[in-house]
Amino acid sequence: MNKIITSRRTALKLLGGGAAALAMPHIIRPIPAWAQNGVLNITTYDKFLPKEFLDKFQKDTGIEVRIRLTDDQGKQYNLLTAEGANPSTDIVTVAGHRYSQFISAKLLQPLDTGKIANWKNLNTAYQDAPWARVDGNLWGLPILAGYEGLARNVDYVKDAPSWDVMFDPQYKGQTSYIVSDFMTIVMQYLGHDGDFVSYVDKADVAQKATNEARDFLIKQKDMVRKYYEAGSEVQQMFINEDIYLAHSWSGPAAKLIMDGHPIQLSVPKEGTFGFCYTLNIVNNAPNAENAYKLLNAVLETPEVGAAMTRQSGYSSTINGVGDLLNDREKLASTLPQEEIERIIFFSSVNRDMKNEMIDRATAEVKAA
Amino acid sequence: MPRYSTRIAKIVNSSLYRHTLGAAVESRWGRLILLAGVPLVWLIALHIGPIYQMLKISLLSHYPVQPGVESHFTLANYRLFFSEALYFSPLIKSFIFATLATASTLIVVYPVAYYVAKVVRPEGRSKALLLLLVPFWAGELIRTFSVIMLLANRGAVNVLLREIGLIDRPIPMLYTSFSLGFGLVYLICLYMLLPLYSAIEKIPTQYLDAAADLGAGPFTRFRKIILPLSKDGIVSGCCLVFLTCIGVFATPMMLGGPNTVLFPETISGFFHGASDKWPVGAAFALIMLVTALIAAGIFMRLVGGRKRSAI
Repeated sequence: MNKIITSRRTALKLLGGGAAALAMPHIIRPIPAWAQNGVLNITTYDKFLPKEFLDKFQKDTGIEVRIRLTDDQGKQYNLLTAEGANPSTDIVTVAGHRYSQFISAKLLQPLDTGKIANWKNLNTAYQDAPWARVDGNLWGLPILAGYEGLARNVDYVKDAPSWDVMFDPQYKGQTSYIVSDFMTIVMQYLGHDGDFVSYVDKADVAQKATNEARDFLIKQKDMVRKYYEAGSEVQQMFINEDIYLAHSWSGPAAKLIMDGHPIQLSVPKEGTFGFCYTLNIVNNAPNAENAYKLLNAVLETPEVGAAMTRQSGYSSTINGVGDLLNDREKLASTLPQEEIERIIFFSSVNRDMKNEMIDRATAEVKAA
Repeated sequence: MPRYSTRIAKIVNSSLYRHTLGAAVESRWGRLILLAGVPLVWLIALHIGPIYQMLKISLLSHYPVQPGVESHFTLANYRLFFSEALYFSPLIKSFIFATLATASTLIVVYPVAYYVAKVVRPEGRSKALLLLLVPFWAGELIRTFSVIMLLANRGAVNVLLREIGLIDRPIPMLYTSFSLGFGLVYLICLYMLLPLYSAIEKIPTQYLDAAADLGAGPFTRFRKIILPLSKDGIVSGCCLVFLTCIGVFATPMMLGGPNTVLFPETISGFFHGASDKWPVGAAFALIMLVTALIAAGIFMRLVGGRKRSAI
């Protein structure tokens, strides 16, 4: 090959051109896809927002909705915190009792109900519920309500008036639960405060109660077939008859009942906890105005709420939904009055202490 | 050929080539950058970069940092691991499980690799390999679900056993150490199969014929010829499977029971939990990475030994 003689001018041109090419991505900074006009990014649980509703919303408004699925409040909180002041999502789905955590980390913006013309269509019980107002503001649109119930296969477990049945040796290896969630129930079952509200400034008392529940669950470990994490897992275990009993969020169990499986959901005599999922606009959301349009559209007709209930199994918070459900759907999402009275809504008080102690106890139960 | 030569000549003689690629090829550093540049960028950006990021997070007191919270560098996240057995035991369990899964995979896959490499006719080997690889075109989750459908109380195995009258009540196979081991071996056997096949296929058949002529039985031929000559495949296959087993996350979550909680699940708890424990999770992940690499290194040293001819 001939020897190439490069002049100083050519070399400088080449260097300059190369540097410009390398710097180009930093000079031309396109607007990220998630911040463009006409887009709405929503982080929510699977089967919460019906496809037909989203299709209609997109057609009516021209706003492209991008759904990102989540299956855990902690995961959602951590990812949102990591994004800091530049969130890539506009709407998140927070459980009411987790408000304080999200609000103190400045992850949500207060809800301006004046921008939601259909707010009147929300059931009055949820329009200004005690758990929904924090620091004088409302923070989200309640969409679905649920509770932590005792689900059982009625072909094998005829009656279950107490959480005792989860520890009955005849069902050894046939029960399942989410450890962290069931621990609050076990604390209640053992006579303690599973929601930690009465343990403010009483860390030693709370720790003693948590340890007692932890030791109890470790002792009962052979009763468990599997510790599950997502609602779909408990549904699968019931369908495959791998389990006959489970502590379950009402949604997944109610969905099984709606689909005709021999499952029954109840609130045992020791009581349980209720919660409400809300759609919340993220602080610094790049498309906040579009988010308000979606919240308004959710409340527009009861059909949207009915579709949400059919898909998720949770009870709708929107007026008029009950009239649209068939008998089986109503049965799945209805409890006798005495059982309804046993449900206490989770509080957002003292969550940091609760999270810290329950997280650790959960790890200890799993590792035992 | 002349057409290509003309095209290549045109490119090589063009001023663009002479001033850029040609000039680069002329210098030693230019050639080095051209050859190593892309792999280096790939390695740094996709492998070392994320590990560096995890290392950084593991040394922070808080992450993600929230408004009003100061974060500083600390070794507390690493100290936590060594201060409590609670975190130590899942790691030990993971190592024991990965070792057993590796050994099981080797025992199951070795005869298959041998059959394809030596018993199947040369013209049929690629088809046989293809048939073995087809299930791996499906994703890990789909294959895990297929194990669930197989082993569940109302799964294929229990239904079959009940239909032929061997059992009257389902055998609880799912969510046990058995289902986890079975699932893992099924999911990762490809990592063992390919190195083993590659090593066994290279063993000259004449060696086996000569040994047979000299009176060596099948077991002696296997012990004295096939096993030593396929050692490289065994070592690389075992290392790949072991390192994959240590870090595998979804399969134990989906197939394991209450007594098969492995270290990756413990780590994920720190990232998914309600409190901000990412630094602890990152520190534990690095501890797992380093210990797994040390274990694989020791294994390679002990079993792999120095490179030498086996015969």
